[in-house]
Amino acid sequence: MSEKKTNNNLNSFKELGIFFAFIIILAVLMILSPKAFARPANLINILKQASINGILAAGMMYVIISGGIDLSVGSIVALSGVIAASFAHPGEYPLIVPILLAVLAGSVVGLINGIGVAYGNIPPFIVTLGTMTIVRGVALIAARGQPVFNVTKEFEKISGGFIFGTIPNLVVYFVVITLILAFVLTRTVFGRRVYAIGGNETAAKVSGINVEKIKLLVYTLCGFLAGIAGLLLASRIISGNPTSGQSYELDAIAAVIIGGVSMSGGSGKWYGTVIGALMIAVISNGLDILNVSSHFQLIIKGLIIIVAVLVDIKGKAKK
Amino acid sequence: MSKRLSIFVVVLMVLVFTMTACQPAAPAPAEKPAAEAPAAEAPAAEEPAAEAPEAKYGLFMSHMTNAFTIEMSDAVKAKAAELGVELTVYDGGQDPAKQVSQVETAVTQGISCIVIEPASVDGLVPAIENATKAGIPVVVVNQAISKPEAASSFVGVSNVEGGILEMKTAAEAIGGKGNVAFLLGPMGSDAQIGRTEGYYEVLKDYPDIKVVFEQTANWKTDEALTLVENWLQTGTQIDAIVANNDGMALGALKAVEDAQLLDKIKIYGLDATPDALAAVKDGKLAATVSQSTTAQGQTAMETCYKIVQGETVEKEILVDFTLITLDNVDQFIQ
Repeated sequence: MSEKKTNNNLNSFKELGIFFAFIIILAVLMILSPKAFARPANLINILKQASINGILAAGMMYVIISGGIDLSVGSIVALSGVIAASFAHPGEYPLIVPILLAVLAGSVVGLINGIGVAYGNIPPFIVTLGTMTIVRGVALIAARGQPVFNVTKEFEKISGGFIFGTIPNLVVYFVVITLILAFVLTRTVFGRRVYAIGGNETAAKVSGINVEKIKLLVYTLCGFLAGIAGLLLASRIISGNPTSGQSYELDAIAAVIIGGVSMSGGSGKWYGTVIGALMIAVISNGLDILNVSSHFQLIIKGLIIIVAVLVDIKGKAKK
Repeated sequence: MSKRLSIFVVVLMVLVFTMTACQPAAPAPAEKPAAEAPAAEAPAAEEPAAEAPEAKYGLFMSHMTNAFTIEMSDAVKAKAAELGVELTVYDGGQDPAKQVSQVETAVTQGISCIVIEPASVDGLVPAIENATKAGIPVVVVNQAISKPEAASSFVGVSNVEGGILEMKTAAEAIGGKGNVAFLLGPMGSDAQIGRTEGYYEVLKDYPDIKVVFEQTANWKTDEALTLVENWLQTGTQIDAIVANNDGMALGALKAVEDAQLLDKIKIYGLDATPDALAAVKDGKLAATVSQSTTAQGQTAMETCYKIVQGETVEKEILVDFTLITLDNVDQFIQ
C-alpha cells in the first residue's frame, strides 16, 4: 500500500503479464484441440459461459478495490433466481415483474451489507459471511427447498435469446454492463473515490470524502449486479434453484484476483477482471473439451490461480 | 490495521469452529452415560404402561433443501399422522456433526424410535450404535450406513438397481449401440458410486455402447448445462446422456435443446423430481426413475412403529424403483 505512487506502472505491467498468460493458455488449448476449441462457435460459447461470472466479478471488483470483500453474492444469485422464477409462471405477471423483483432483492441484500460495513463498522468478511448464510436460508424457504420451474418463454429468452441470430443475449449484457462499470470506475468522481477509500481510508476521510456513503453504494452495486446475475442464471436454467450459485463468490473473487486487483484494495484495472473471468471460462471449457477428469480439473484450476498471482508478485519484484 | 483485523477474523473463526465442534462432542459424552441410562431404560422397562400415549418418534433428515428430502420427510410425517403418533423432525443441514448431536440430544431426552436419513455413511455409525445400546430402535432410511448391523432396520433402495434400470432403458432406446455420456454426482458420494456402478453393470451386456464422456456436475443443473454445452462443442456424436440425478439431466436437456439436438440425443435422469416429471410429460426428458421416495418414507415410519409395538422386522427392506416415461408420467404428477 505504501508504494501507491508506482501503482500505475505496476498495474500496467501486471495486467500485461495476465494478458500474456491468457494468450498462452488460449494458444495451448488451440493447439491441443484445433477442431473443437478454436471454432468460432465455441469461442462464442466461452463468452456466454463467462458472462454470469463476469457480471458478478465486476461488482466484486468494486468491493475489493474499496478494500472489502463480498461473500454473499452466490447466495444472492440463488435468492434472486428463485424470486424471478416464482413470478415468471405462464399467465401470471408481465415479464417486468420478475426482472424488477430479482434485481430489487439483490440490491436490498447489498444495501444491508453496505449498512453493516459502513455504519455498523463490522468487517466486510463477517457481515457478508452472515448474509451469505441468511440469504441462502431465505432462498430455501422461498423455494420450499426445491427448484421453482415452469417459466414463460419470454423469461427463457432473457438469457436464451440471441442478437443478430448468433450473439447470445448473455454476452451482450456482459459487454454492456462491463463498459458502463468501467466508465464509472475510471471516469467519474465516484469511481476515483472507490480507489481512494481502498487505498487509504483515513486519508480519504480527511480529504472530505464521505467514506460511509461510498461503501454503502459499492455494496449495493455489488448486490444489484448479483441480483441481475441470479435473474440471468434462472433464465438460463429455466428454473430458480435455491442451491444454485454455491461457490460463485469464489469464482468471482478468483476472476478479480487473477485480473491483478490487489486484495488489500486501492488498485486494479477493470480489464484485468474481464480477462480473469474469461480465463476461468476458457480453462473450464478447454478442459471439458479435452475430457480431462473432474479431479484433475480442480488441481489445474487451483494451480493457474496461484501461478497468476505469482506472476503478479514476480512483476512487482522486478520493478 | 488490516492485518490485525484479519488476525482477529481468523481467531474468531477458529473460536466459532471449535465451539461448534466441541459443543456436541465434549459435554455430551461426558453427561450422557449418566443421563442416557435412566432416560433410555426407564421407558423400556415401563413400556407397556407408558408407551401408548407417550411414544415419541424422531425423524432425522440429512438436510431439507431439495425435492427429494422434502418428499421423504412429508411421507414420514403423513404416515406418523396416519398412525396417530407424535413425530419431531430434525434438519441436519448436510452436516454429519450436527446430525450426530441431534441424535445424541434426542436420546438423552428420551425417544421411542429413530428414523434417520443419515448425512454421512460412516459419521453417523457411532451415534446410531449409542442409540441402539440405549435400547432405542433405529431405522435407517434411503442411505445405508457403513455398518448396517448397528441399526435395527434399513429401508431403502439399492442405488445400483436404480442405475441399472436407468441405463438399461437408455441402452434399449438407442438400439443397443452408440455413444453415451454420463453426468455423475459428487465423486465419492454413495449415490454416485452405486448408480454409476449400475450403468457399467448394464454396459457389460452392450459391448457396442461406448462411453465418450464421463464427468461430475455435482448434482447441479447449471454445472451440467455448462458441461454438456462444452461436450457438444467437440462435435462428438452422443446418442444418450445418462445422469445420476434429475437436476443434472435437466441441465443437459437445456444444453441439448439450445443446440437443437433433442431429436438426436436422448436424456435420462433419476429421482423423479417434479420439474423432471414435467419435462417427461413435455416429451423432452426420455425417462426418469423414481426411487419411490414416498414409499420409502412410509415404510420406514411403519417399520419404526412396528418395532415399538414389539413386532420383529426384517433387517433390510428394499423398496422397488419405478421407471417413469411419457406412458405413465401422469400418475406421478402431484
